[in-house]
Amino acid sequence: MTAFLALLRRDLLVASRNAFPLLMATLTQPILVVLVFGNILPRLGLVADEFRTVMVPGLMSITMLMAGVQGVLMPLVTDLSGSREVDERLLAPLSVMAVAAEKIVAGAIHAALAGLIALPAMMLLMHQVAGVAVHPNWLALGPLVLLCGLLSAAFGMTLGARVQPRFSGLLFAVILGPMMLFGCAYYPYQALSVLGLFQYVFLLNPLVFMSEAMRVAVTPNVPHMSMALLLFGLVGCVLGFGWIGARTFERRTIL
Amino acid sequence: MSAVLEVTDLVKTYPAARKSPAVEAVRGISFRVEAGELFGLLGPNGAGKSTTLGCITTLIRPTSGRIVVDGVDMARDPVAGKHRIAVVPQVRNLDRDLTVREVLTYHGRYFGLPAAERESRAGRLLEQMQLADRAQAKPLELSGGLQQRLLIARALMHDPKVLLLDEPTIGLDPQARRLLWETLLELHRQGLTQILTTHYMEEADRLCDRVAIIDHGRILTVDTPDALKASLPGGHLLDLDARSPSPLGPVLEGIAGVARVETAPDGNGDGYVRLRLFVEPGDGLLDRVLHAVRDARGDLRHISLQPPSLEDVYVHLTGKELRE
Ligand SMILES: Nc1ncnc2c1ncn2[C@@H]1O[C@H](COP(=O)(O)OP(=O)(O)OP(=O)(O)O)[C@@H](O)[C@H]1O
Ligand SMILES: [Mg+2]
Repeated sequence: MTAFLALLRRDLLVASRNAFPLLMATLTQPILVVLVFGNILPRLGLVADEFRTVMVPGLMSITMLMAGVQGVLMPLVTDLSGSREVDERLLAPLSVMAVAAEKIVAGAIHAALAGLIALPAMMLLMHQVAGVAVHPNWLALGPLVLLCGLLSAAFGMTLGARVQPRFSGLLFAVILGPMMLFGCAYYPYQALSVLGLFQYVFLLNPLVFMSEAMRVAVTPNVPHMSMALLLFGLVGCVLGFGWIGARTFERRTIL
Repeated sequence: MSAVLEVTDLVKTYPAARKSPAVEAVRGISFRVEAGELFGLLGPNGAGKSTTLGCITTLIRPTSGRIVVDGVDMARDPVAGKHRIAVVPQVRNLDRDLTVREVLTYHGRYFGLPAAERESRAGRLLEQMQLADRAQAKPLELSGGLQQRLLIARALMHDPKVLLLDEPTIGLDPQARRLLWETLLELHRQGLTQILTTHYMEEADRLCDRVAIIDHGRILTVDTPDALKASLPGGHLLDLDARSPSPLGPVLEGIAGVARVETAPDGNGDGYVRLRLFVEPGDGLLDRVLHAVRDARGDLRHISLQPPSLEDVYVHLTGKELRE
């Protein structure tokens, strides 16, 4: 446990030193989207307030996904492909699974903070913010943001440990891009009932649960998926990806 | 004496991957390292040195075999085992996001050292490794030699029972190499058990109490450098460059004091061949050799008598020069 906390402390120290570039990397995307869809297009009368309300939690979840994936996947890919800084951690007195768990927790903290910062940043950039029905449920926000952070980091670990370094560039085009478009970020899950059974295919995308979780947390008036399904999905993904990610990490690092 | 490290029947076969076949990197290695010993694993590229060290440090999962460090079975209780070992890896893996001093203090944190001890030890090691004036630098700003010393300082932070060094002087200039040797010898005098891999003969010869010569995943022999050299037939080497109508080997082999003759496969095209005589130097030996060459109507271009080096032992055992 001492070693776990010491590693976490090291990661947070380094992240805080690199806070500015890290924030830029994760906040650029939501800020640009909000500038276009939340500010410019509404001025032109092209985007309705309903869409903007739906978009806010969706962009939070996208921000968290990107932060979690970048916070875990990128360092992992460089580590596994040569610099082997990870070896020092693997030689610290804790199990390999604990080393993986620490990476996930550090990534989760990074992702949760990014999500929490994205919310006010987006609201500041919105045109005529009064029309946007964002009413954060502060009580639910904390735990849900944490769960979403854990999910993104665990997912990042799964990708980072699975994907060959030379394909890491493709990840965004082939996996993360589609995930974001089909992740209920720009439309609520409930509204997909018009698709019939096809709606359930969306549940394969972990981002759906994150977007819906943020919907519960910041726009409770918009219809969202049932809490039971939501929590089941979030916790299931955290455990599932966490386990797969950590096992893959172990397989890739211990030859 | 008690063994600090015991490796028994270690085997590591890297499983076949998509395009590459399985590699038997280590094929049944056993050795013991006593407390305070500086033990060397000497062998060419690909001999299995790093793989052996990796297995000892848990970074590589052995296919079979047993590794016990200071009474702890590394497979059964890796966490307790990791407290007892420290590693200076072949690929430098310093934490590039921390300062030199933090590299040490955070390593101390990982191993649960209390703050006061962490700081005092980091300070002392920085002094000892002559890094004190670079304490606030980033590791990658240091020269190779300094990085190597920082790796050693980091390894010593948690007061290990065994220090494992994988080709610690590779890529260092002669001066930095000598300085590092001094450091390792100083640690040796302080009683630290060390295991060092190298493919530099001179390094193994100068530093190690005992050397295991390893090739193709097997240990060919283990002994003190002097005993290894003495194990060569005769104990000294007489190298000749000679030319003659008939092969000189059989003639020379019959001379009193010549234990063995090895003839290099080919000359260099001008008719001269290199002969290596394993000899026991004694009265009239050179005379007898010169006579024998003359009697065979041969011509001698070059002759040198030398005490054997580890390299000669190595070549004798493996039948090949070190692939550097
Ligand atoms: N991860 C791996 N997968 C497959 N084969 C490997 C792997 N690592 C090493 N090998 C092979 O195992 C053999 C032993 O390698 P090892 O790195 O232990 O040698 P070494 O003695 O340390 O050599 P060097 O002096 O080059 O460091 C080599 O044939 C090498 O190609
Ligand atoms: Mg090696």
